[in-house]
Amino acid sequence: MSLRRLGLDPRTKIVLVIACSIAVMSPAGNRFVPYALLLAIGLAVWEGEWRRAAGLPMVAAAMWMLGWLLPVWWPNPLTAIISIACVYLIRFLVAIGVGAHLIATTSSTQLAAAFRTWRIPRPISVTLAVMLRFFPVVGTEAAAVLDAMRLRGLIGVRGLMRHPVLSVERFTVPMIAASLRASEDLSASAILRGLGSHRIPTSMNAPRFGAPDLVLVLLVAALAAAALLLPAPLT
Amino acid sequence: MSTEAQTTAPTDAALQRPRFSLRFSARDLLRVAIFAVIFIVATYVIGMLGILSPLVWLVIVLFQAIVGGVTVILFLTRVKHAGMLTLFGIVVALFYLLSGNTLLSTAGIIVLALIAELILWAGRYRSKWATIWAYTVFGLSFFTPFLPLLTDRQAYFASSSWTQMGDDYVRASDTLLSTPVIGSLAGGTLVASFLGGLLGSAILRKHFVRAGLA
Repeated sequence: MSLRRLGLDPRTKIVLVIACSIAVMSPAGNRFVPYALLLAIGLAVWEGEWRRAAGLPMVAAAMWMLGWLLPVWWPNPLTAIISIACVYLIRFLVAIGVGAHLIATTSSTQLAAAFRTWRIPRPISVTLAVMLRFFPVVGTEAAAVLDAMRLRGLIGVRGLMRHPVLSVERFTVPMIAASLRASEDLSASAILRGLGSHRIPTSMNAPRFGAPDLVLVLLVAALAAAALLLPAPLT
Repeated sequence: MSTEAQTTAPTDAALQRPRFSLRFSARDLLRVAIFAVIFIVATYVIGMLGILSPLVWLVIVLFQAIVGGVTVILFLTRVKHAGMLTLFGIVVALFYLLSGNTLLSTAGIIVLALIAELILWAGRYRSKWATIWAYTVFGLSFFTPFLPLLTDRQAYFASSSWTQMGDDYVRASDTLLSTPVIGSLAGGTLVASFLGGLLGSAILRKHFVRAGLA
């Protein structure tokens, strides 16, 4: 029964992503990076997303080596530039890791219900919910266009640098055309199902603050306390 | 309901001068949503090419600004009343915020969208050059993720590890994070988004008008 499966309230997830992003991007944000990374991995494991759970620490480790170890072993301007880029990007990596959980586990109806309880203006909440529904469609079309380009050997950084305008055109034109065609049906069905009507819909499983949310809040409080009290490894 | 009448008979709407209305029909919202998704996916796919090396990363930002132009210019041909570009900016900014962007960048994108909306409004939502200039402003949104580099520059040099890393290192990072370099990145983004607007307008004429999509 997927409906009765314990899940987080979408509002908890939204607040969590924004809080993580504020903590990690603040001037002393590197102090929070390892703990936010632990949180992102924990969320991925909880949802059984093994690829994300394995990928996050691997990318973070690579960035840590390039950003912190490489300039000590071999100090020169080039490694310094790479190091700065990695020190900056590792913050984005952990914030995106937590954000990926929200995007992957929230359905568009749940997101709409969450925004409704927050009284977010209708144009914004409806548009964001529809975007969440459109992402897989446009993603599939983009992947198909990329496959076709790969088949003809049109892909790669070298080609992009040599013929920038042509590469951009060859990718975007078919992708936009295919996505617009695919979106026509979805739009028609969404309007038929009452999207954008001024009545307030009721949801089958309304967002509620439950036991999983409480566990998560306590866990995040513990991680934040650890980040503030323990000596920071990444400064 | 005048907005619903517009969606069923777009030819009537095209003849009138646009009235100032912030009422969105369901079809308007869907249109904003689909173009916002195309915008994000197209720039993400181009951005993935930049993962290969941190050195390409800065150049890729310029490419993203060019690619975004094609999407936004096509979107703007379908905008017939006020507020749609602002809504586009808000949802794109909020989506980036939900997937882990900074608050500063989110606020920056919304402000840029408002300025671009003003430019469009000055062109009465019909002028081709107004759409190109509006995108030139909105294209600066690709620069907003770098804003924290400007604000917490001191924090980078205050940490203890910088002192152990040698003079070369500090000098190189000082040049990379200096205001002229970041400023020229902003200038480059501005030029790239202007080119993106021109390219978008050319591609529109070459492909989408012919295919009946514009």
